[in-house]
Amino acid sequence: MIPPRSAGCDVGAVAAPARGGRADGLLRLGCWTALATVALTLGALVLLICHEAWPAVSSPEKLWTLLVGQDWAPLLEPPRLGIRHAIVSTVMVTALSLALAVPLGFGIGLFVAELAPRWIRSLLQPCFELLAGIPSVVYGFFGYVTLVAWFERYGHMATGESLLVASIVLAIMVLPFIASVSGEAFAAVPEGLRQAAYSVGVTRWHVARRILFRAAMPGLFAAVALGLARAVGETLAVLLLAGNSTALPTSLLDRGQPLTALIATELPEAGVDTAKYHALYAAGLVLLVLTGIINLIVWRLKGRIVVGHGGGG
Amino acid sequence: MSSLVAPLRPAVINADRLYVGLGWLAGAIGFALPLSIVGYLLIEGVGRLSWDFLLLPPMGYPLGTAGGIAPAILGSLALVGLGLVIALPLAVASAVGLSEYADPAGMAAKTMRFATESLAAVPAVLYGLFGYTVFVVFCRFQISLLSGALTLGLVMLPIILIGTHAALQAVEFELRESVLALGVSRAHAVRRLFLPRVLPSIVAVTVLAAGHAFGSAAPVMFTASVAYARGVPALDAPVMTLPTHLYYIVSEAIDLEQAYGTALVLVLGLLCTNVLALLLRRWLER
Repeated sequence: MIPPRSAGCDVGAVAAPARGGRADGLLRLGCWTALATVALTLGALVLLICHEAWPAVSSPEKLWTLLVGQDWAPLLEPPRLGIRHAIVSTVMVTALSLALAVPLGFGIGLFVAELAPRWIRSLLQPCFELLAGIPSVVYGFFGYVTLVAWFERYGHMATGESLLVASIVLAIMVLPFIASVSGEAFAAVPEGLRQAAYSVGVTRWHVARRILFRAAMPGLFAAVALGLARAVGETLAVLLLAGNSTALPTSLLDRGQPLTALIATELPEAGVDTAKYHALYAAGLVLLVLTGIINLIVWRLKGRIVVGHGGGG
Repeated sequence: MSSLVAPLRPAVINADRLYVGLGWLAGAIGFALPLSIVGYLLIEGVGRLSWDFLLLPPMGYPLGTAGGIAPAILGSLALVGLGLVIALPLAVASAVGLSEYADPAGMAAKTMRFATESLAAVPAVLYGLFGYTVFVVFCRFQISLLSGALTLGLVMLPIILIGTHAALQAVEFELRESVLALGVSRAHAVRRLFLPRVLPSIVAVTVLAAGHAFGSAAPVMFTASVAYARGVPALDAPVMTLPTHLYYIVSEAIDLEQAYGTALVLVLGLLCTNVLALLLRRWLER
C-alpha cells in the first residue's frame, strides 16, 4: 500500500542530518510556537464570546427570555433585551437569499461543468472572482442606490429598505460561492458514469437530473452550506439594506434587523459589562453556534466528496 | 434511412432543449451580474475621481460632502499592512508546522485543520466583537490603528494558513522524499526548496486575504475606525477606513456622489491589486 503523502516526512528522521541540526530545532520550535498561538487565539475567541454571553444565557428562563420571550427595547426601564426579532430577520433573509441563489448557482455550476465551451468557462471564472471580491459594504451601497431607490419610487413603501431587498443583494453575494463549489462538484462526477449514460442514448437533461445531481449530492450540500454560512454572517449589506428596525418582521416587505446588524448597530452604544452588552454577545454566540454547526457539516461532507470520486479532492 | 433505436418522445427532447437553454441563461447571468455592478459603479463614479478626491481629507458641512478620501485610503492601507506584518509570519510558520512537522493523521493536526477552517468561517462581525473586548477594552489599546490591525490580522490569519498549507501539501511526494533522503535537515529543505516552490501560492493567498480585509468594515468598525481623522495614521490613534467611510456617508445620507467615488476607489483598488498579484505570480512561477 502506498503510504499517505506526508508520511514521507519521516524519511528525514531515519538518520540525523549531517548539517543544520540546530536550524531544524529552531524552525521546529518556531512552527510549534506559531501553531500554539493560532490555537490559543481560536480558543480565546470562542471562550471570550461564551464568557461574555454567559450572564445573558446562564439559566433556561434567561435563555428563553433572550431568544423568544421579549422584544428589543434597551432604553426602557427595566430594559427589554430579547433578540427574537433579529433571529426571525436572520432566518427570513437567509432563507430567501438561498432560495434565490441556490437554483441559479446550481444552474451556473451545471453550465460551467457540462454545457459551456472551454473558452467561456475560462471567462466565467474571473467573473466569479470579481463578484466574490467586491466588498460587502459596496454591495450594500449598490443595493441602496438601485433596489432601495426602485422600491421607494414604485413599491409604495415609506422607505425602500426591506428584508426582501437585503435578501436579493445577499443572494448575489453568495452566488459565486454556490456556483463555483457546485461547479466543482458536478465536474468531479466520474466521466465513466456520463459516458455510460450517453451511450444508451439519453438526453443531457436526463444525465443532469438522474446522474449528476445524485453523484454530486455531497458537494451540492457543501455548496449550500457554504452559502448559508456566508449569508448568516454577512453584516454590512444587511445593515444598509434591511432597514434596521427592531420590530418583529411579519413579511418579507417589512424592515428588520438580522443578528449581525443588531450587533453592529448597538455595540458602540453598549457599555462594557452592562446587560445590553451581554445580550449582544449572546447574539454573537447564536451566530457562532450557527456557523459552527454549518462548518461541521461542510467538514463531514468534504470527506464524502473525496471518497465519491476516488481521492484527489 | 430509419434509425435502429426508437426516436425520443418530443416531450423528452423539449425538456432537454429547455435545460440547455436555461443553462445558457444561467451562464449569461453569471457574466452579466459582476460586469453590470462594476460597470454601474464605473459610470456613476468615474466623474467623481480626481486628484483632489484622492489627496484631500473630507471637508464641507456635514463633513464628507466635499473634499476627498485621502485619510481613509491611508488608514485602510496602514491597517492591512500592519495586520499582514502580524498575520503573515504566523500563518506561514503555522502552515509549515502543520504540513512538515505534525503527524498528518494525528489528533493535533486534524484538530488544528478543523479549527482553522472554522476560524475562516466565523462571521467578520464576531472578529469585531472579539477585537473590541480584547484589544480595545481589555488591553486598553483604545479604538486605534493597533487594535484594528490586530483584529484584521486575525481575519487574514486563517485564510493565509489554509492556502499555504494546501500549497505545501501539493509539493510532490517524490521531491520531498528525495531531498530528505539526501540527508539535509528539514529546516534546510523547507527554506531552500519547499517555501520557494510554494511562494507563488503564498503571494496569491496573501493578496486574497489582504483584499478581503481591505474591503471588510465589520472587524474595524468597533476597533479602529472613526468618521474623521487626519494626518498620518499613528499606532495609538483611530483611523478612517474606506469601507467604514463608505458606510458612514451612505447610512447618514451625506452625499451619494462622494459615495460613488469612494465605492469606485475601493473596487478599483482591489481590482488593481489582484491584477498586480496575478502578474507577480506569473513572474515568480517562471
